[in-house]
Amino acid sequence: MEQRTPTLRSVAWLWFGISVAVLVVGFRQAIFLTPTDAAQGNVGRIFYYHVPIAMLSLLFPYLNFAASLAYLYFRKRDPLKALTADAFALASAEVAVVYTSICLLTGMLWGRAAWGIWWAWDARLTSVLLLWLLYMSYLMLRSFSATGQSQTLAAVLSVFAAVDVPIVYMSIRWWRTQHPAPVFGGGPNSGMDKSMLPAFFWNLAGWAVWGIFILLFRFALERRRQLAEQEAALQAIEASLEIPR
Amino acid sequence: MNYLGHVVDHLRKDLQLEWRSRDSINGMLFFALLVVVVFGLAFDPAGYPTTTRQISGGILWVALLFASITALNQSWTRELRNQVLEAQRMAPSPASALFLGKAVANMLFVLVVEAVLAPIFIVFFNLHVLGNMWLLALILPLGTWALVVNGTFFAALGLRARNRELLLPLLLLPISLPALLAMVQATTGVLTAELDSIQIGTWIKQLAGYDIIFTTICILLFETVLNAE
Amino acid sequence: MTWQSLFDVSTMEHRHLLFAYAAVLLIQGGYVGWIAWNWSRVKGPRH
Repeated sequence: MEQRTPTLRSVAWLWFGISVAVLVVGFRQAIFLTPTDAAQGNVGRIFYYHVPIAMLSLLFPYLNFAASLAYLYFRKRDPLKALTADAFALASAEVAVVYTSICLLTGMLWGRAAWGIWWAWDARLTSVLLLWLLYMSYLMLRSFSATGQSQTLAAVLSVFAAVDVPIVYMSIRWWRTQHPAPVFGGGPNSGMDKSMLPAFFWNLAGWAVWGIFILLFRFALERRRQLAEQEAALQAIEASLEIPR
Repeated sequence: MNYLGHVVDHLRKDLQLEWRSRDSINGMLFFALLVVVVFGLAFDPAGYPTTTRQISGGILWVALLFASITALNQSWTRELRNQVLEAQRMAPSPASALFLGKAVANMLFVLVVEAVLAPIFIVFFNLHVLGNMWLLALILPLGTWALVVNGTFFAALGLRARNRELLLPLLLLPISLPALLAMVQATTGVLTAELDSIQIGTWIKQLAGYDIIFTTICILLFETVLNAE
Repeated sequence: MTWQSLFDVSTMEHRHLLFAYAAVLLIQGGYVGWIAWNWSRVKGPRH
């Protein structure tokens, strides 16, 4: 562990540097280099932040689901692996909430400027909102539940949430087939001109690399906190075993 | 120390305790947001815009009512731990000062939730306030106080009851119906501009009258409730 | 677009573009800052 840590730190800083560099290139592409959209004007540039982040925000819930399953599997068999899985589950849930919040916020700002309304209860927006609510409730459960229980309860909730996500998507699409309402902003691949591709891909790459960075950083923080807790517990036990003179 | 000093002390204590954990306010905010989302799905503002505007006043107040009940239920629980309630009974300060301090603290929490919720509500329901928006700045606090003052009182009333958390809405809702009617009618009147200013003024006066009457009753009767056994 | 036109807040479109980008950078930066702040607060493993 001692020899690994400095290398790990350098890799972490390198990864951080790469993600910032790619994001800077992406920013330059999106704001300065891509020609202004004919239909939407400059406000259409929000697309280059909104869509990549929206696409990536669908990834982290799956990571949370996988980690929660791993936690539940290892809980009785190998507690240390379970603890690691739980740390990863918490990190991926937080990053999922961060990315989904950004997706909703930028979407609302874009919608108001481009289409005149802040919100529409159409299929896609409602599904994303419900995704956000599900993972917010996961985080609230973790903070409200009693220590010791919170990890297992949260893992169970995560299973519920993951199973719910496709059901939410299908049910809301079905609802909107029954009761159509104006669709907000067209489909994700509707008319992406060739000139838009560089900005889009640079930002997609940038936010993906950044997302991996903050996920692993948050994971490392949680592991650090868990290890500190274990150390404190160990010290307490050792202190209680000391023979008084 | 004078009466106001006691009230301020109780208020500060509650605000500090809440600030340390912020559990109650986070829970209330999330809950109110969820209620708004549920109503958004249920009433489909995109599909039926005129109807939703007409019921939007009711939806807002139902959301706030549910959110306040969640906060009010546990506003007295911290007095139950460590026999704090016994200490309060024996303290020389007037019991109604404790009540007022707690009621004002609850009022502040619900107002914070309202301040966050109102823009979200407007966004989700695509509302444009057709009437005079500043009237809402008058209606919302008056209505909130009506719910909070009675809610704090009844939450204390049910402290030793068996199904304490169920009891609060059972007691609060019937008593609050006149106030609920006034606040919903006034809010909807402002949002849809279907009522003229005299009618809205009448509802506001009724709400204010309700507030004064029930605040007085709560202050006078709190000591009895506190020492009920 | 130029730096000047980016910070021109006269129209709603420009304002919202600026807000959106600023919000993204603030939220992501704030989150990573929060992680870093907590990192400094939690004690590292003793060895």
